[in-house]
Amino acid sequence: MTHSPALASERPASAPPLKKRTTPMKRKQRLAAYLFLVPFFIVFITMLVVPLVYAGYLSLFESKLIGGDVFAGLANYVRALTDSAFLAGLGRVGLFFIIQVPIMLGLALFLALALDSARGRGSKAVRLLIFVPYAVPAVVATLMWGYLYGPDFGPIAQISRAVGLGTPDFLSPESILGSMMNIVTWEFVGYNMIIMYAALRSIPAELYEAAEIDGAGQFRLAWSIKIPAIRPALMLTVIFSIIGSFQLFAEPSLLNAIAPDAISTSFTPNYYAYNLAFINQELNYAAAIAFLLGVVIAIVSYFVQLAGERRERVGHAERGIEP
Amino acid sequence: MTSIDTSLITTDDASDGTASPPRTGRRYSPEGRRSLLLTILLWLCVLYFVLPLWWLFVSSTKNNSALFSTFGMWFGGDFSLWENLQTLFTVRDGIFLRWMLNTFVYAFVSAAGATLLATMAGYSFAKYDFPGKKLLFSATLGAVMIPLTALALPTYLLFSQAGLTDTPWAVIIPSLVSPFGVYLMRVYAADAIPDGLIEAARVDGAGEFRIFAQVGLRLLGPGLVTVFLFSLVATWNNYFLPLIMLNSSELYPITVGLAQLQSAASAGGGSQALFSTVITGSFVSILPLVIAFLFLQRYWQSGLASGGVKG
Amino acid sequence: MNKKARRTAVALVTGAVSIGLLVTGCTPSSSDESTQESVSQDDIDTAMTTPTKLTFWTWVPDIENEVALFEAKYPAIDVTVENVGQGLPHYQKLRSAIEAGEGAPDVTQIEYQYIPSFVLNNSLLDLTAYGADDLSSDYVDWAWNQVSPDEEVWAIPQDVGPMGNLYREDILTAAGITEPPATWDDYAAAAKTVKDTTGSYISNVGATQAGQMIGFLWQAGVKPFGYDGSETVSIDVNSDEAKKVADYWTDLIQQDLISTDVDFQDQWYQGLASGKYAGWLTAAWGPIFLQGTAEATTGLWRAAPLPQWNAGDEVSGNWGGSSDAVLASSENKIAAYELAKFINNDEESAMRLATEQFLFPPQVSVLEDPAFVDQESEFYGGQKVNELFAEISQTVDTDFQWLPYMDYVYSSYEDTVGTVIADKGDISGALDVWQDQLVTYATDQGFTVE
Repeated sequence: MTHSPALASERPASAPPLKKRTTPMKRKQRLAAYLFLVPFFIVFITMLVVPLVYAGYLSLFESKLIGGDVFAGLANYVRALTDSAFLAGLGRVGLFFIIQVPIMLGLALFLALALDSARGRGSKAVRLLIFVPYAVPAVVATLMWGYLYGPDFGPIAQISRAVGLGTPDFLSPESILGSMMNIVTWEFVGYNMIIMYAALRSIPAELYEAAEIDGAGQFRLAWSIKIPAIRPALMLTVIFSIIGSFQLFAEPSLLNAIAPDAISTSFTPNYYAYNLAFINQELNYAAAIAFLLGVVIAIVSYFVQLAGERRERVGHAERGIEP
Repeated sequence: MTSIDTSLITTDDASDGTASPPRTGRRYSPEGRRSLLLTILLWLCVLYFVLPLWWLFVSSTKNNSALFSTFGMWFGGDFSLWENLQTLFTVRDGIFLRWMLNTFVYAFVSAAGATLLATMAGYSFAKYDFPGKKLLFSATLGAVMIPLTALALPTYLLFSQAGLTDTPWAVIIPSLVSPFGVYLMRVYAADAIPDGLIEAARVDGAGEFRIFAQVGLRLLGPGLVTVFLFSLVATWNNYFLPLIMLNSSELYPITVGLAQLQSAASAGGGSQALFSTVITGSFVSILPLVIAFLFLQRYWQSGLASGGVKG
Repeated sequence: MNKKARRTAVALVTGAVSIGLLVTGCTPSSSDESTQESVSQDDIDTAMTTPTKLTFWTWVPDIENEVALFEAKYPAIDVTVENVGQGLPHYQKLRSAIEAGEGAPDVTQIEYQYIPSFVLNNSLLDLTAYGADDLSSDYVDWAWNQVSPDEEVWAIPQDVGPMGNLYREDILTAAGITEPPATWDDYAAAAKTVKDTTGSYISNVGATQAGQMIGFLWQAGVKPFGYDGSETVSIDVNSDEAKKVADYWTDLIQQDLISTDVDFQDQWYQGLASGKYAGWLTAAWGPIFLQGTAEATTGLWRAAPLPQWNAGDEVSGNWGGSSDAVLASSENKIAAYELAKFINNDEESAMRLATEQFLFPPQVSVLEDPAFVDQESEFYGGQKVNELFAEISQTVDTDFQWLPYMDYVYSSYEDTVGTVIADKGDISGALDVWQDQLVTYATDQGFTVE
């Protein structure tokens, strides 16, 4: 259920394993290895695994306000799979993923490549200013965009009216998903750009020199050398974006205060799970929803990665490069 | 993107930049061949990212009536920044300052702890071979796929059993888990610490912990800064965890405090003046991180751009 | 990780294990056999002179002032006031703490409609044994019925929100309307005149504001909810009477005579201040609230009773208000009760709540006190607004009840009725959907639906 082995296998991970009989020396090292892991795993287990197991356990029960807890087996999961609110929310974040993530990552990639080419003026300032929104908490970002979107006093509406375009309604049920995509894009382009930019900076010079001899232009250079070279970094940003979109929570929950008529309680699966647990008092069902969402994320991540790997192979074959 | 899981997600995906194996030599750089079109495009993008923050600044200089009667992107009405700041820092006996301090403490302690744990674990994954390694590593990363919002109540119940709710620990301890910090440090350590160096130290008779402390930590410098910084931001911006864990307003971090001020402003009680206070508070709350980014850029960028991998 | 953190981590593991053993981690521990014998004066004296710490969760601003009066009277009692959030966040935290069996306060603010949901899981202390019965005559009837629908007394009323009509006299006059509309028919006619001549909406119905709509239903004599205190509920949000109210608003909204902006948002505040709305159908806490919101319009507003369904009637509904309850888990029940009682029953404390925090009082003594009712408000052109609402308060239907899961009722309202109002759709139809959701939820949760 995890993508990690594939991710990790992108590069050689560690010292060459010595596959001999365990010597006392090896045993000592092994002990040290475990000891180094202990502090992290104590916190990991108590903070993540235990609540997870507990929630998994809860998801097998049905709790009623009258009558208390009854073992329900997989009933909560069955219910979720036929729950139109959950499925609609899933569809919504799926749409979010399909539309927003390419825009966000495309913009980030464009900016990273542009900065890396060093052809614009003030690159250093640009890099920094684009990264700044990452330092803004979602609470503040949403509050701010809430004002900016305002139909009467928001500056966007003010400008739109001044040039005769009428008043755009960013907070209507039809447009709220788009408005949310914009907020998330604003928050995270800089962050993704920095990851890509850092990867670009560590492409070895030899690769460029070869291309330079060929007389390749900037676009060729970007397309056939730079982008393939940072493919692992790109894959990482994609995986994080999958998790981020499917787990969308802060933005809908904060926007709900501004546009309650546009954001239903099941707007995103994660927000739905939260409302189920805290408002409907259906903790058990909420836990089942959360697990199903985790499974969906794992499956999507897996297939995206598979697709990425296949493209990589095809790409290598096309260029006649040994993988 | 989400708030409770930011501590997991946003910590350090920066990794991949650092992740690449060490490269040598600076590459070809086409200095002097500037493109006007590209410059314009870049600065247009900058406008998109900066204008909302500009609005935030401009609005924090306005009083309530100017807030809703003047053009949002430019100053208007009386210049009320000082009055707003004064209100902000005196509202409810100056609790805003307290919130800022709490945020500092939570963020720094969490980031330091998360970095240490992630470094030790990452080093272990990178430099040792042991049974169960693959499984443990997969579990570390796989756990991130389950959304933690639904675990809020179970987690709360556990904390409550341990008597930790409504204490700073309830915010700090969960923030110590940084699976991607582990991932980053694993990849980083694999590159940055030559196995030969470790072997040589062993031959010299150094213990494993001494090797880690004296050889490993020194070489992991830029990676440490990166993990630290991203953990810091994650805790700084965390909203959901402190929201469910804390009851006393003197323990709130700035995010929860601001949200509470905001809801108080909306609920009124004849206190509409709070709108400009909330906006000013939002502006002030992002200043420390923005300034830290500006001044520390050399450090975090070097950590990201793995140039200094050689130590 | 320092030593302390490590120790806490260990403690957490232990805690985790013990939670794991608690198979039914979700069932709240029911209160002990409540002692039906009354508490004697001796017990009270002992309790009030023993050094005690109490925690009080409330979001009333500056309630520390009233608490200080209490502490001055009982120096042995030390009260910590905590504001854990307002409305929903407050109840979520309260529930979490109750479920965890630890960290819940001794005394909590609680809005009337949420009392049944905490009675349901035995979280509230029945205050009859502590003498709360004797207080019933100190409060207006309908407010007392809210905290004591049956034998038991679950809380002490703190403030209420009988509904009235705040309107811009200048705008109505400009439209040629000199008297506030007396009936809903008059109101509809006035809405048209006001819109046609001045461009203002006569008022705004918050699209997702269940409290206001329920207040309208309350006034119309609709009994949408019922709860017997144990396992039976009745749900009737789509009765003919309710639909009559719904159709009335559908009609006005579809004619664009009533706006449906989400209330308590900056746009809405500006609408009040700018004259976009010529009025606000609101509760008794509204006048002061409005005064802080629309300062520039001082002197232009007036207050009146709600329009009536039948000419000559005098009925109103309620929107908002809250009480203070004692948690069954409190270890200092007597002191906790005395605090809840003092805050809302002590003459000085109640008077200060009404005149300094502007909570509209349910206490008869305050409602009759000239210092309160004779206040003339400049914002309302010198009108005695308190007096008017004190009179309205006498006209609120006394038997209104709630369901023991109002969190869900409201969120479901938002998803069904709220979105329809925002879309200017058919509210009656939305009531049917809302009814279905509420019944389904009740059945799923094991209630018997009558």
